[in-house]
Amino acid sequence: MIEIKNLSLHLGEFRLKDISLSIKDGEYFVILGPTGAGKTVLMECIAGLHHIRAGEIWLGGTDITRLSPEERGVGYVPQDYVLFPFLNVFDNITFGLKGGKRTGDGVEERVNELAGLTGIAHLLHRDTRSLSGGEKQRVALARALAPSPGILLLDEPLGALDQRTAKYLRLELNRVHRELGLTTIHITHDLTEALGMADRVAVVRNGRVEQVAPPEEMLFYPESEGVADFIGAPNILDCDYCRDLGQGIAEVGCGSLKLTVPHEGGNISKVAILPRHVYISETRPPGLSVNGFQGIITTIEPAVSTVRIRVQVADNNLMVEIPSYMYEEMDLAVNQEVFLILRMRRIRCFSGRS
Amino acid sequence: MLKILKGAGGERVFRAATISALVLLAVFFLGIVISMLTYTDWDTFITALFSREILSAIRLSLTTATIAAVISLLIAVPVAYTISRSRFPGKDIVDSLLDLPIVISPVALGAALLVFFNTPLGSAINNNVIRFVFSVPGIVLAQITVISALAVRLLKSTFDGIDPRYAQVARTLGCSQPEAFFRVTLPLARDGLIASAILTWARAIGEFGATVMLAGATAMKTETLPTAIFLSLASADIEKAIAVIFVLVILAVAALLVIRKLIGRRYQI
Repeated sequence: MIEIKNLSLHLGEFRLKDISLSIKDGEYFVILGPTGAGKTVLMECIAGLHHIRAGEIWLGGTDITRLSPEERGVGYVPQDYVLFPFLNVFDNITFGLKGGKRTGDGVEERVNELAGLTGIAHLLHRDTRSLSGGEKQRVALARALAPSPGILLLDEPLGALDQRTAKYLRLELNRVHRELGLTTIHITHDLTEALGMADRVAVVRNGRVEQVAPPEEMLFYPESEGVADFIGAPNILDCDYCRDLGQGIAEVGCGSLKLTVPHEGGNISKVAILPRHVYISETRPPGLSVNGFQGIITTIEPAVSTVRIRVQVADNNLMVEIPSYMYEEMDLAVNQEVFLILRMRRIRCFSGRS
Repeated sequence: MLKILKGAGGERVFRAATISALVLLAVFFLGIVISMLTYTDWDTFITALFSREILSAIRLSLTTATIAAVISLLIAVPVAYTISRSRFPGKDIVDSLLDLPIVISPVALGAALLVFFNTPLGSAINNNVIRFVFSVPGIVLAQITVISALAVRLLKSTFDGIDPRYAQVARTLGCSQPEAFFRVTLPLARDGLIASAILTWARAIGEFGATVMLAGATAMKTETLPTAIFLSLASADIEKAIAVIFVLVILAVAALLVIRKLIGRRYQI
């Protein structure tokens, strides 16, 4: 368990203000916030890279506030990986093993085990400079895991990767976390990433923790204006009934809309979907469309790099957000009839308190 | 008038002007080297080069410069690292102080050293510990005085260019601070270290002003290569001077080539 108590730090233009967090053993904890919120500084404090003057950090019942980084047993994967360029992949991984020795005492087995876990067995003798971003990230992960740390810190692990690689690596990170059961703190500015991966999310803005909650709760009950702002108001629909269809799927009725949603048990009382996860089309999408609806555009508001379109679907109002370039390619106007698809896997459900 | 320099015409004029400056300078350097060839012929050159005096000067220069370069680097690495990474009050002043030996005339530095060894503390060191004045250790000391600041400058820019996050990651992987320095920062500084070593060594080989002040110019005793040029010209032995000049040119070219070969690029000073 990691406990951060009243941590404050002033570092150049960054400021952490009275941060208190408690992260459970084996938890996948995501720190979510905009660029410049102080997320990285907070992580560096946990890794021991800053002198802390105010506040305490406890790790598994020990006060580690004053311990130097090498005494903390923390696995750290910084942004941009920071692989040692003068060492090949194998030597990067063994760097943190006792005294950096390369042979004997099961070093080879340990490296193979880690390489298997992170899927880099074929890269072990490559120069790190010739690796792709995704490969570098895996090597950095294996290197951080090598000394068997007590917790794992990932700073924007998917941030610098192209979408496909990021999507794949996200699943891999979840798998590694499941296999090792290692307490993990993951920093991101990407809401979808946070909602998809976290056991619990902490929203950090301007050096302050605004809310700590499981993703669903964060989405349905943002505690502050700041969180709501950052999350960007999802479409929330109240459900009248919930029928389990088996295989992890349920049907819910929200007014006149029938939706098929992922289901992990319990009686679903609300569902939410982010505006960016609603597809809009001028023509009826071909094939069997799960969660496909027809509606009328009521408003169109351009934002910075996106366009927000409000669509009336029967008695519900749904917000759709699409990138500006996509909007320009389409021919949308107010009062036009359009077709929407609510991507099932992106729908978040909330059962319990209503 | 300046209107003609607008557009493509201006580009041509500018290009022509800058390239001519380059050509002029290159021709000038090449010219002074070639002009020496007209003053000597092969046999006199070889005889002068392999005279006992010049061979001993070569040996003395190589030994003293190597010792001086090694000592300078051993001092400059921690100094440069501290200036590059630490923040402490008065850092700017210390930093500027360390630049002084680069801009002050070496003769002035040598003279200052000589004066120092005439103070009670200096003469106690000179008489009881190591004899520096008019002796070979004096050559090494004079060279160190001149080149250590250069070594610090070169290494500081090397350390400045190394992302401190490498050492931080090493710390999280279990390295103590010294371990992180030796296992990560130094290997990352490899190119800079090699370049600094060679450049300071070459500078030590060419050192004359401070050396001649502190160690004097006694033939066969404190006679380094630059001192040999001075002594030869003073005794109107131009062939001998030219032989030594060529030795220095060759050493310099070799040093630059080695840097290029080892680092694979031109090193920015």
